[in-house]
Amino acid sequence: MRNVAIISVGYNDRFVAKRPDVNIPEMIQPAVANALKKTKMKHSDIGVVVEGNMPTFEGINYPHLWFSDHIGAAGKPVLRISTGGTTGMSVFHGGYYCVASGMFDVAMVIGWEKHDEGDAQVGLMGIVLPEAFSLFQFGPDMSGGRGGGMGLLGGGGSTGGASFQALSYLAKAKGTPEHIDKMAAQARANAAKNPYAHLQHPNCTAADIAKTPMVSYPLRYGHTCPASCGACVMLLVAEEKVKKFADTDRVAWVKAVATASSDGTTGNLVDGQITDPAEQAICEKIAAPKAYKLAGIQNPKKEIQMCEVYDGFAHQELMWPEKLHLVDNSCKAIDEGRLAIDGEMPVNPSGGVVSTNAIGASAMVRVAEASLQVMGMAEGGHQVPRRVKNALAHGWGGLFQFVTITIVGDEPVKR
Amino acid sequence: MDKKERKETRQTKDTLDMSLFKWRIEADGLELLVQGFKEKKVLGRKCHKCGTVYVPGPSYCRKCLIDIQDVVEVSKKGKIACYTVGLADVRGNPVEEISVSVQVKFDGSDSWMLGNLEIDDWKKVYVGMPAELVLREETNGTLADIVCFRPV
Repeated sequence: MRNVAIISVGYNDRFVAKRPDVNIPEMIQPAVANALKKTKMKHSDIGVVVEGNMPTFEGINYPHLWFSDHIGAAGKPVLRISTGGTTGMSVFHGGYYCVASGMFDVAMVIGWEKHDEGDAQVGLMGIVLPEAFSLFQFGPDMSGGRGGGMGLLGGGGSTGGASFQALSYLAKAKGTPEHIDKMAAQARANAAKNPYAHLQHPNCTAADIAKTPMVSYPLRYGHTCPASCGACVMLLVAEEKVKKFADTDRVAWVKAVATASSDGTTGNLVDGQITDPAEQAICEKIAAPKAYKLAGIQNPKKEIQMCEVYDGFAHQELMWPEKLHLVDNSCKAIDEGRLAIDGEMPVNPSGGVVSTNAIGASAMVRVAEASLQVMGMAEGGHQVPRRVKNALAHGWGGLFQFVTITIVGDEPVKR
Repeated sequence: MDKKERKETRQTKDTLDMSLFKWRIEADGLELLVQGFKEKKVLGRKCHKCGTVYVPGPSYCRKCLIDIQDVVEVSKKGKIACYTVGLADVRGNPVEEISVSVQVKFDGSDSWMLGNLEIDDWKKVYVGMPAELVLREETNGTLADIVCFRPV
């Protein structure tokens, strides 16, 4: 396996709720141009393109057939990867393996979503309908969600499951819903320092978040992510080509990639569920230890200087750093300000997914932001003040049963 | 970019023909569960290798990945493993009838089952609260036999 460096990150524009002025190819193309602009690379140097978004959220299958010409991919191998919430990072991993394996010297990876062009629920129908129809066979009580009625369905989306996860997490961590308010406030305030973030709320406080309506206890509106439009592009280059193509001395080296998957955790009335959604053993016991081993990291709390976790809901910004062995008790840590940009373990200086969620891009944005932190190029005041030698990016998908991790650093791993 | 510059390109409205979709779901364990309701029993499956008890019980063990057939009866009583309270409708408006969805781990089972909790004040619910499954007086082997969960 060869070492792989991230030499450039490109966004199309600030992530927003609606982009009616452009179609999908027109939205993605500027991100490609922005990524290439920061290198000494030409379109023709790109060997392979890997892209992904949520399947059918825009009502289109095989969207890459539409935009290949617009991103200079014509005639090149184009690989599409779509794995729910983890899509962005799975795409990144796909591009990484293309280069690390020696098949290609340069890979361009693209994660994107254009929520205003379709209906996420239509995409999710493919999940919820089989569950609903199989339940019809067993005659659920349809009189308003009592008993085994439709009101119980957790399928078709992770929001319902996330509320269960939040309470289960709080019970274990001995936290309160106010801790989630604090975390959400920090995320929105951080987002205000990131020029590309969607929901920016300068100096947001826990009291501001607590004023938003409760949706599904303990989650409020202020704890949930928006639906954003945008694209993220990254250029991955083999070690021996870095000097040729990189326009900067500080590139981010991919030190480890890890993935783990298990059963859907919540809302499975058909088969019975065996996993506590807040347990996340696949992350804590499989993916994270594997990533640290590959990266040669013995003590993640000391050797990793910041993390970008996939927090579709604010409580996850508390939960994931614990499962990634970066923080012992996040509720305590947020009380003591240790998760802030200038804290001991900065979590999501970019504002995270709770502030910007173009789903197919979100997990890739985590790697992009971690890389920018390592490269010292995070714009608008969200750069971590101390030098970031190693940064961790994390993504989850499905009903919390897919986990992806990437560790980037300022030096390649000696293999 | 200035918002005024952004003009809509195109919008298409259409309906979706649901008959285009075809599925098959293995719901053997759910069948076992609802058949058990006829005798007011809660039935699940136990893995003969690792001993994990599932309610509803799938036809295979999710840990050992082997076929399982052993049927076991578990208690109707258990503990609330986690819960959530529906306070808004899909459009975000506060609802008049607040519903408490719970995941209950029956005594003798390793999996959790979803249900609604009947309680006068949702603020009294806590993780670990004992609850029991309430079935209709006359059961006929459907999911509609479930009335609710109630605190013990």
